[in-house]
Amino acid sequence: MAVDVETDVKAKNRLERYAELAVRVGANVEEGQTVFINAQIEHAPLARALTRAAYSAGARYVDVTYRDQHVRKAMIELGPDEALTHTPEWQKERGEAHNGAASIWTTGDPEPQLLGDLDGERVGRAQMKELIEISRRQMVDRVVNWSGVAFPNEGWATEVFGEPDVERLWEAVAFCTRLDEDDPVAAWREHMSRLDSRAEKLNESEFDAIHYRGPGTDFTIGLLPHARWMSALFHTASGRPYVPNMPTEEIFTTPDPTRAEGTISSSLPLALLGEIIKGLTFTVRDGRIVNVDAEQGAEIVRSQIASDENAARFGEIALVDGTSRVGKTGITFFDTLYDENATCHIAYGFGIPEVFEDDMYDGMNISTVHTDFMVGRPELEVDGVTKDGKSVPILRDETWQLAE
Amino acid sequence: MSLSTLDIDASIVYPRMTDRLDAYADLVVRVGANLQPGQTLFVNAAPEHVDLARAIARAGYRAGAAFVDVRYVDPHVRRAMIERGPDEALTASPDWQVLRSKSLDGNALAMIAGEAEPELLADLDQERVGRARQVAVMESTLKLQNARAINWTIAAYPTPGWAEQVFGEPDVDRLWDAIAQSVRLDEEDPVAAWREHTARLRARCAQLDALQLDGIHFSGPGTDLTIGLLPESRWVGGGIDTKDGIGHVPNLPTEEVFTTPDARRAEGTVRSTRPLALGGTVVRDLEMTFAGGEIVDVKASSGADAVRGQLATDEHAKRLGEVALVDGESRVGRQGITFLNTLFDENATCHIAYGSAVLFSAPELAGLPPDELRERGANVSSVHTDFMVGGPEVSVDGVTRDGKRVPILREDVWQLT
Repeated sequence: MAVDVETDVKAKNRLERYAELAVRVGANVEEGQTVFINAQIEHAPLARALTRAAYSAGARYVDVTYRDQHVRKAMIELGPDEALTHTPEWQKERGEAHNGAASIWTTGDPEPQLLGDLDGERVGRAQMKELIEISRRQMVDRVVNWSGVAFPNEGWATEVFGEPDVERLWEAVAFCTRLDEDDPVAAWREHMSRLDSRAEKLNESEFDAIHYRGPGTDFTIGLLPHARWMSALFHTASGRPYVPNMPTEEIFTTPDPTRAEGTISSSLPLALLGEIIKGLTFTVRDGRIVNVDAEQGAEIVRSQIASDENAARFGEIALVDGTSRVGKTGITFFDTLYDENATCHIAYGFGIPEVFEDDMYDGMNISTVHTDFMVGRPELEVDGVTKDGKSVPILRDETWQLAE
Repeated sequence: MSLSTLDIDASIVYPRMTDRLDAYADLVVRVGANLQPGQTLFVNAAPEHVDLARAIARAGYRAGAAFVDVRYVDPHVRRAMIERGPDEALTASPDWQVLRSKSLDGNALAMIAGEAEPELLADLDQERVGRARQVAVMESTLKLQNARAINWTIAAYPTPGWAEQVFGEPDVDRLWDAIAQSVRLDEEDPVAAWREHTARLRARCAQLDALQLDGIHFSGPGTDLTIGLLPESRWVGGGIDTKDGIGHVPNLPTEEVFTTPDARRAEGTVRSTRPLALGGTVVRDLEMTFAGGEIVDVKASSGADAVRGQLATDEHAKRLGEVALVDGESRVGRQGITFLNTLFDENATCHIAYGSAVLFSAPELAGLPPDELRERGANVSSVHTDFMVGGPEVSVDGVTRDGKRVPILREDVWQLT
């Protein structure tokens, strides 16, 4: 068997550099911190590299917990009802232990359709709700510097390209996360500052609502006066900066959950809880999703928005233009971490506490779910609506219209 | 401890279940752990055991588990910690890990053995490797095991790395076959085979208990060793019962009947009859001399230092904690393979262990504090290493309280009826 040693070494270096970027720029691990790594079992090579990078960055202890979709599938398929929502005590304890710690989770589903043949209602219900509540509270309190990164693997590559071309996927991931730059850390600094300045311009405009117009879409959503637009350069309550998503191309805010009207259609497929949702359309009245249509997977979305009383209201709107590195690849990644950064998106469910000044979360939607779906495309026109009803173009043909 | 309620009450139904992996998982769940409906099934595995862990999860839910809680412990993560982590990380037992261990109480546990990369830690600072132990987590699990509060089992999964070690090539299929044969998966009805097998082992325990032995004598080439037994010593084999009466088989495979020796009484010499895998080192031709219950001399053609190092771990490591008898019928022994894994190798033939006493075989003593245990002759140490001393040339006799000798094994054949 011929082994291309050089390629092998390059690939190893890439994995180590990628892990280092996630640890130093993403979670920005502080010396002496405990680091939690939450990975799918198929992501073990990345989890191991992250562990090495975290210890090298001075982590006090690195705790890796793998989740296994096949074990989850067994539970949904064969387990009793109570198992679906069960959160073991130790999981809660581990969740609480994230307080003050750094955390990195991984995406890149090796079998995106694994749960596709199961009862969609049970799939939607199978969530460790108590654990999610703990992590939501920590987000509100801003006590964890966390980040999400993807791990290219055969199954994911097959979903994306129709063949297990992991190298091609790696190249796309490296491009999107700026790992192809000579100095990725400097590139990230520059990138985040450009996104921040866009957010600043939007804040100065003091829009009262955002209006979307395009194929299958005529949708207005209200904004909250005390909610900022911002980039994904977050800070913990104690002032530690971190980048929670790698890549990130968006600027976003948390909308008024009581004010949204109209019809909005997704522009990209959405991988959700082991299924691919296609052709999603929501009808919205008084801020609440009142009807869900989809060419595929509507049942899972319906089940998810029924999981608590606020799941059917909106928690995030995000703007992404054509300069997005993710968008430029032209790839549908079937992974929200990537696809939401390709284009404009909206999320139903939990809001983003970071956008509120001085910890004033009044009016933010609280829910145990947060699901982003993509709405942006060249034909989509996005306007800001001022308090006196004037429309100001923000995006036309995926090009940013406001001054930068 | 009573073994009369031991009842492997499993009926594995095999319609279409042609898959060896699923059959194995069912054996682990229904015979090994003997999961009861409504229990949580905890599974501890390495990432390389993922296929078996998943099969066990399915088997667990099929058998009525309330929840299956699989935790993958990654040796590479451990390696990174030993190599790059601070000192305090080595012994850290995070609260949540201790809590998970405590949650085992009253539930079922399946642990998967079979190292994927046996040499993974070989190039690291061995002092740090030795220190890297989650003592609080381990102690809390061990306490529940000793209190018979968990129905647990250990089963192995063949990996290429392990196969390479055993056969010199990564022949996983061959290792699968060896494991399948060891755990009776090659039988048409493995559960029935296990029922028969454990009944036979239990019958042997009853025979031995009836003799109320005061000691065991091994004699053969290089071996002339007498080990004292305690009044509290009982023979255990073919599974144990939890305090709630759930019979389970802690080791798959198991061929042994074992008891707790008197740590103060061992005299003579012993020569090991099979290689011993000790944390990455293979010890060959091990010879030990005992006086006053203590190992006073160690020799080996290779790996003697690994044994000496272990014996120096604490002041009680040099005393015995287990005596186990295995005859020539053993499915492990008959294959003639050194598995380099105690789970298998100790079932190939008679073995003894230096270090901490097994207390399943002295239930009257279980639960006593360490000082009192030692005072009553049951050893307490942080090590427990089994090594093989049996074989066709080794005779085993029981020594009764009035000094009479009762033949137990001759040429690997069980002598009691």
